[in-house]
Amino acid sequence: MGLLYGLIAVGLALIFGLMDVVNFAHGEFLMIAMYATFFLFAFFALDPLLSAPLVAAALFIFGAVVYLLIVRFAVRAKANTGMVQIFSTFGLAVLMRGVAQYFFTPDYRSIPHSWLGGKTISIAGIYLPQPQLIGALIAIAAFAGLYFFIHRTDFGRALEATREDAGAVALVGIDKNKVFALGWGLGAALVGLAGAVMAIFFYVFPDVGASFATIAYVTVALGGFGSVFGAFAGGIVVGLVEAITTLILPPSLKTVGIYGVYLLVVFVRPRGLFGSI
Amino acid sequence: MLSVRDVTTAYQGLVAISNVSIDVEQGEIVCVAGANGAGKSTLLKSIAGAERPRAGSVTFDGNRIDGMAQHLITAKGIAYVPENRRLFPRLAVRDNLRLGSYLYRGEANREEPLDFVFKLFPRLSERMDQRAETLSGGEQQMLAIGRALMTRPRLLMLDEPSQGIMPKLVDEIFQAVKRIRDAGMTVLIVEQRMAECLEIADRAYILQTGRVLMQGTASEISGNKDVRKAYLGL
Repeated sequence: MGLLYGLIAVGLALIFGLMDVVNFAHGEFLMIAMYATFFLFAFFALDPLLSAPLVAAALFIFGAVVYLLIVRFAVRAKANTGMVQIFSTFGLAVLMRGVAQYFFTPDYRSIPHSWLGGKTISIAGIYLPQPQLIGALIAIAAFAGLYFFIHRTDFGRALEATREDAGAVALVGIDKNKVFALGWGLGAALVGLAGAVMAIFFYVFPDVGASFATIAYVTVALGGFGSVFGAFAGGIVVGLVEAITTLILPPSLKTVGIYGVYLLVVFVRPRGLFGSI
Repeated sequence: MLSVRDVTTAYQGLVAISNVSIDVEQGEIVCVAGANGAGKSTLLKSIAGAERPRAGSVTFDGNRIDGMAQHLITAKGIAYVPENRRLFPRLAVRDNLRLGSYLYRGEANREEPLDFVFKLFPRLSERMDQRAETLSGGEQQMLAIGRALMTRPRLLMLDEPSQGIMPKLVDEIFQAVKRIRDAGMTVLIVEQRMAECLEIADRAYILQTGRVLMQGTASEISGNKDVRKAYLGL
């Protein structure tokens, strides 16, 4: 589970690191990814594992469009830029939730049977649920892919350069708006991948994003703002803490441990575990 | 090659340059000199697309470029090294240079200008894996010029390349500018250190409070009595 938290948080950290904008609609990106997976299953009997790449690709386009149509203009605001940014993505979140409630109804939906759903695997006597295990592997693969992309390709290098100084990339002929759109697309694709996997074992409903988004913000802050690696590592920490908390405390208090550890970390290291500056 | 006609640029209503016209011909080194605040940097920004002129026109190879997006002007063959260099500080020297060839990323010979950059600034080749921020001021200037050369420009524009650099390296950089011209590029250079700049330049303009005060060949300007008194301290 921690690795999936990590995957969600990496998408958030990628966008934040790139342009210092917090995507408050990140949870809603997750929500539409889960709905997309659900409907692909309901209408086309497509297993979530097969639809995951489709959903990720669709979310990539969605993320890029959100940047080009909304965020691009929000960051240009001449006065009160911070507030404009916050309310533009926050407003988008409210809108997406409202639209989901209207069209998809607030009903809880789930994918009753899939290749992995409800199955477990036994490794050395420990039973692990298959969806979470495969989800973890997908998360690791996606993170490895992202790492390769950032460090080995020209687009990745352009992404890093834009993160360093967005005003300077035009000096080498790079259009920063394209890079920002790419960053939003990638961030959304990662959360889309996570959403597709989570639809296997989690209920799908309009507000589903909220709780995961809150955890993602904590994860990003825990791992270190803007650090993609930190966000992934933070996700693992959060997942472990959550698992340990459920062993000690009643299930209704399972998030207490996460926020407790988070507070502890920010007291000791305000920049997060892997935060640099 | 480059023709700036009656350009006026203002920041929030404050006019930084007004009705400035300059020309740069193929293969020249042109020096724009003037005191602090004379509008030298604004002139380069207006050409590079970092600032949008309020009036006037900028023409490069017969095409209007004023009002074009900055990255498209770079792609047209104008490389601009701003005053504060704007390197990517936490990226390695290698990555900074490689980003310079981003426009040619599909081509096999994208690294071709690198040999020339190393010939100009051999010390960069020893620093390839260091982060740009760990370089000295002079080395950072070399890297900024190197990155600009990687874009295969026909016109190279330098804003105060001597700023914040130890005197020994200043000379090295001015010598490099000459070699860049000898390699077939055109250079437009903005400087406060007029004497050194006039030494390598073919022609020069003097800006004062946002207007062209004087123009001529480098020897005309450096021979002018008023210039010698006011700017060269002779």
